[in-house]
Amino acid sequence: MPMYYFNLNDDDTVMDTDGTDLPDAGAARIHATGVARELTSNGGGILGQSWSGWTMSVRDEHGTELFSLTVSDFGNGNSGSKTDRTPTRR
Amino acid sequence: MVDLAALGYRYNRLLAAMPHNTLALLEPDLRKVSLEQGAVLLEPGDLIENIYFPLTGLISLTVIGKDGRFIEASTVGREGAVGLHSGLGRRRSFTRATAQIGGKFSTIQAARFEHIANGSAPIWDVVLRYTEVLWAETQQIAACNALHSASARLCRWLLQSADRIDSDEVPLTQELLAQMLGARRTTVTLLAQRMQAKGLIRYRRGRIVILDRKALEACACECYQVMHDEKLPHALGVKL
Repeated sequence: MPMYYFNLNDDDTVMDTDGTDLPDAGAARIHATGVARELTSNGGGILGQSWSGWTMSVRDEHGTELFSLTVSDFGNGNSGSKTDRTPTRR
Repeated sequence: MVDLAALGYRYNRLLAAMPHNTLALLEPDLRKVSLEQGAVLLEPGDLIENIYFPLTGLISLTVIGKDGRFIEASTVGREGAVGLHSGLGRRRSFTRATAQIGGKFSTIQAARFEHIANGSAPIWDVVLRYTEVLWAETQQIAACNALHSASARLCRWLLQSADRIDSDEVPLTQELLAQMLGARRTTVTLLAQRMQAKGLIRYRRGRIVILDRKALEACACECYQVMHDEKLPHALGVKL
C-alpha cells in the first residue's frame, strides 16, 4: 500500500517522519480527519499552545501535496469541511 | 541507580509493605522473572494463574472493545500488583495485561498465593489498601481519557511511566504509546516530534528520554499531580 505523510505547519513544520500505509488518497483524507480530531480533542492545544494558524498538509510518497486542512476546524466535533482545501495547479 | 542483579522482591512496594513474617511465608514461592516489552500476560477472560509484582517493568491494563480498539485503563509498576484478587479464589482477567515496559517482575502462582493468603489478615490488609488507591487512580484515568487533550495526556503518561520505572529513559515505541492513548500513531508521532523540537524529550528507536521535566509537567494534565508520588493514598487517608 502507498505511504502517506501528514505534516503540521505553523511557522515551523512538524514532520510526520514515519508515514502511514493507506490504500488511497480517500483513505488518507479520512485518516487526516481522524488525526486532526484527536489532536484537537477536548479543546486541547499543542503543548499548551492553541492550534490557531496550524494546517495539516498531506503528501504522497513522492512528496506531492494532495490536500491540506486547517487543524482548528476540527475541534468540538466539527468535520472541518468548510476549509478543506485541495491545492490547485500552479 | 538500582543494582538490578541484587534486586530483591522488596523493591515492589506492596511486598515491602507486608509484615516480615508474612513475607517469610511468601518468599519460598516468589520467583523473579524477566519479561520483554509487549509480552502479553493475560487476555480478557483468561484464568489468572500467576500474580505479578513489578520490580523494574511496567504492566499496562487495557480494555478491549468489540471492534478491537483498545485504551489503557491503568498501569501497574512497582507500587502495585496484577492478579491479587485470585488470592480469594479462582479469578479471570477483565483486561488485557501487557508488559508495556520490559523488566524484572516478582511472581507467585495464584494457587500458592491463595493458600498462603487464606486467613492472613496482614495480606488482605495490604491488598485492600492497594485496591482503594488503584480504584481512585482508575477513576482519575477514566476522567482523563474523557476530558483531557491528546497532548496533555501524552505528557502525563510519559511522566507517569518514567516515575514508575524510576528512570527518565522510557523504552516505548510510538506504536505502544498510541495504543495507550487510544489514538492513531500519526497523532503520537506529531506530538512527540513537537515535544522533541521544543526540547522536552529526545526520542529514537523505541526510547524516549525526558530532557525537560518541568516543561513536561507544565504541559501535562492535572492528573499527573493527582496521581503523583504518594498523593492519592494521602488524599484517601490510606497508609500503604
